[in-house]
Amino acid sequence: MVEFLQFLVPGILIGGVYALLASGLGLIFGVMRVVNFAQADFMMLAMYLSWALFAGGVGLDPFLAVPAVFVLFLVLGMAVHWLFIRFVIGKRENHDAQVILTIGLGLIFQNLILIRYSSEPRVVAPSYANAGDFIGDIFISRVRLYAFLLSVLVAALLFLFLNRSRTGRAIRAASENWEAATYMGIDIDRTNRIAFGVGVALTAVGGSALVTFQSITPFVGFRFVVVMFAAVVLGGLGSVSGAFVGGVLIGIIQSVSQVWTSAAVKNVWVFALFLLILYVRPNGLFGKVQRAI
Amino acid sequence: MRRVVPFVVLIAVVAVFNGWLDQRFYVRVLTLSVVWALAGVAWNLMAKAGQISLGHSAFVGIGAYGFTILLRGGGTSPWTGMAIGMGVAAAVALVIGLPTFRLRGFYFTLATISFPLIMELLVSHYGDPELTVPFHPESEWKFMEFSNSHTYVWVGLGMLVVALAISELIDVTSFGFALRAIRDNEVLARAVGIRTVAWKSAAFMISAALSAAMAVLWVKAVLRVTVAEEVFGITVVIVMLSVAFVGGVGQTWGPVVGAAFLIPLAMFLDDSIGESVPGAQELVYAAALVLVALLIPRGILPAIEEGCRRLAAWPRPSLEHQGPGLLGRLAAPPPRPSPLLRMPRRPLRPKLPQPSGTPVLEVDGVAKSFGANRVLSDVAFRVDPGRRVGIIGPNGAGKTTLFNIVTAHLRADSGRILFKGMQMDRMRAPRRYELGMSRTFQVPQGFHLMSPLDNVVVAAIGASMPDPMAASMDMLERVGLAGKALGELSALTTAEIKSLELARAMVSEPDLLLLDEPLAGLNEAERARFFETVDELVAPHAAIVVIEHSVRSLIQYVESVVALDECRVIAQGPPEEVVSDPRVIEAYLGSRWMEHARDQ
Repeated sequence: MVEFLQFLVPGILIGGVYALLASGLGLIFGVMRVVNFAQADFMMLAMYLSWALFAGGVGLDPFLAVPAVFVLFLVLGMAVHWLFIRFVIGKRENHDAQVILTIGLGLIFQNLILIRYSSEPRVVAPSYANAGDFIGDIFISRVRLYAFLLSVLVAALLFLFLNRSRTGRAIRAASENWEAATYMGIDIDRTNRIAFGVGVALTAVGGSALVTFQSITPFVGFRFVVVMFAAVVLGGLGSVSGAFVGGVLIGIIQSVSQVWTSAAVKNVWVFALFLLILYVRPNGLFGKVQRAI
Repeated sequence: MRRVVPFVVLIAVVAVFNGWLDQRFYVRVLTLSVVWALAGVAWNLMAKAGQISLGHSAFVGIGAYGFTILLRGGGTSPWTGMAIGMGVAAAVALVIGLPTFRLRGFYFTLATISFPLIMELLVSHYGDPELTVPFHPESEWKFMEFSNSHTYVWVGLGMLVVALAISELIDVTSFGFALRAIRDNEVLARAVGIRTVAWKSAAFMISAALSAAMAVLWVKAVLRVTVAEEVFGITVVIVMLSVAFVGGVGQTWGPVVGAAFLIPLAMFLDDSIGESVPGAQELVYAAALVLVALLIPRGILPAIEEGCRRLAAWPRPSLEHQGPGLLGRLAAPPPRPSPLLRMPRRPLRPKLPQPSGTPVLEVDGVAKSFGANRVLSDVAFRVDPGRRVGIIGPNGAGKTTLFNIVTAHLRADSGRILFKGMQMDRMRAPRRYELGMSRTFQVPQGFHLMSPLDNVVVAAIGASMPDPMAASMDMLERVGLAGKALGELSALTTAEIKSLELARAMVSEPDLLLLDEPLAGLNEAERARFFETVDELVAPHAAIVVIEHSVRSLIQYVESVVALDECRVIAQGPPEEVVSDPRVIEAYLGSRWMEHARDQ
């Protein structure tokens, strides 16, 4: 039982971060029906930014850098939407173009970082990196706890933004039915741009939270992209709150699987679950039932 | 003949380069161009059906590991290893495909990513993350151990030509029609008898086998060591995607064009600046993907075709149309029917015999809910041979849902559908079509990238007609669309689209025709003409069921009417009786207007 809890608690903590990463992806899909394969590479960029701010002389703590990361990636996301994404949104036949465009953008980010920083793994180790507290027999790493708390806080702010602000409501309306939203006078292009920016920024903040216990390489994103998709699909593609719950579940499964199998194959369980959900409940655990035609 | 020319050009170009180039690096570039062209052709087979797979590295990995393990274990020849690997890859594709093909669009693409990831993790952890390929100099051909590196190019060229020939063959047979139909509109494809899962599985298996074959050549000629991270890796998929999308997604020759352009570019860039710029090669693929997505999403080949068509139309024809100039005629030949090679096919399945005295269609106690929303409840009626039945009811009464259940696009929660006395519950949409059911759609459906003729040909193929092309042309003539048979679907007017829907539904000579709001969007004259055309086409023994809001037109045409409201049958019988039934009037007008009507 203790062994189980020793895996369960870190699972919940990392799951919170996955949840934040996935909610960004879920928001973007929900609003503009774009599956963004570059999402995890935005996370990778944010990790490098946090590393640069920490190790590059400024010595800024990655958790304190979060507001700056959020704002920068909000702008970056909106710019990427304006420069690229908006041209492939909408029509059904654009599906292929969305896939290859976002894969291509992700590859460009990876290789630009590779050129600039090489493939050497980078680590961000603040003074409290190895600190932690025991609750009973269970060790709780401080950085993981902070990362979890940060994720919950950002999720709460996202919830407030989507429910209380005018823009947030416009985003939700567009996500529900973008055609009807345009009839209500919502500027769909602007809403998409903001949603893309916010989605990217959420994932970027998730990256900053990860950076204290996850080493960084230009290709770190790929390991996360399927985890993020799994979380989003688990919660129901397009649902932000579903993506959040899905993220926590994925974290738990990934961690608890180590009771039975080696840590090296923990992601096999995640991918298998991902497939299972796709086959059995493609609308997610909490998704709505759709009409066939 | 037109199809042979590209093969000759390809062989000639590769032969010239292979004879001329001498430096090791150049031969390597040539080898890899051929290898990736082959991989792209394999990947593209799935894209013909509009399925974007990000999981093909699973098959490349299976091919690479398969032959390496066999060679290391028992000294099995790589050729045998290749054959076994292809078989295993095809079997795995079948197992992966069956559940995965139920997923559409994004979901399919997402699901495919996980397979190579799972395999890579399992192989690296429980197997060997890296296997060197043992050196067997004793027999060049048996062990594919060529001392002359040019030989690998010849072998690769041979494999590429075979793969291209397979791809061409698919294009010109009913296989290709089925895949294109699935790409354009899967729901409609199933409604016209295309067994979508079977065709997609077949394409996936061939595609997987070719990917496994490519892996053996790739490892033997270039890598010389099988690394799990490399052969199962995402980079394999990215190169496949890049060469296919740049050349033309779904086009047989697309990947050849894409590889000829991208692989040398990436390798020369890597060779010249790779030292200082480590990601140069990947950046070429990435930039190609982004540019193609933004500028020419269907690839270079279709873009060139489009360009030729524009060229043909330029300069703009004057008022007295002279026809395109010589240049124009050369650049864009007049449209011709898609070739359809007739293959020996299974004999035409006999339609169900019609036992005398049984109705063509019997709907018995059918109920359906979407979640908590009840749509149909205990609906029952029957349609006898040669009869015409109308279904009326306000919007949301469940009329279209009823059609969807009859044709198996939806599954009823309870109740039975009997077609000529035979229970249909277990039969899927394509089978019901084959047995003689046919329908049109409330929102007209079409295979958007196919000509009107091909739209009908798909339905004829689905019904296993002996000569689909002739049957379809004949049907288009009878509905008055012969002149537009080879045009574009988007150029048709509403009335023409309705005629096309009718032609598509009638080409199989059905015994039960279901028409869903056929008159919507038609003007008075077209409405009158529509039912005349239907009567000209339908065999006397066939039954027709029509959903229609225009009650006036409907009751002149049908012999009996079923009225639905709030998910139940509220009245049925001869048209005059049903439309004067107070419950029907109430359903249409509401109770307040009922009183008003009674006062008059």
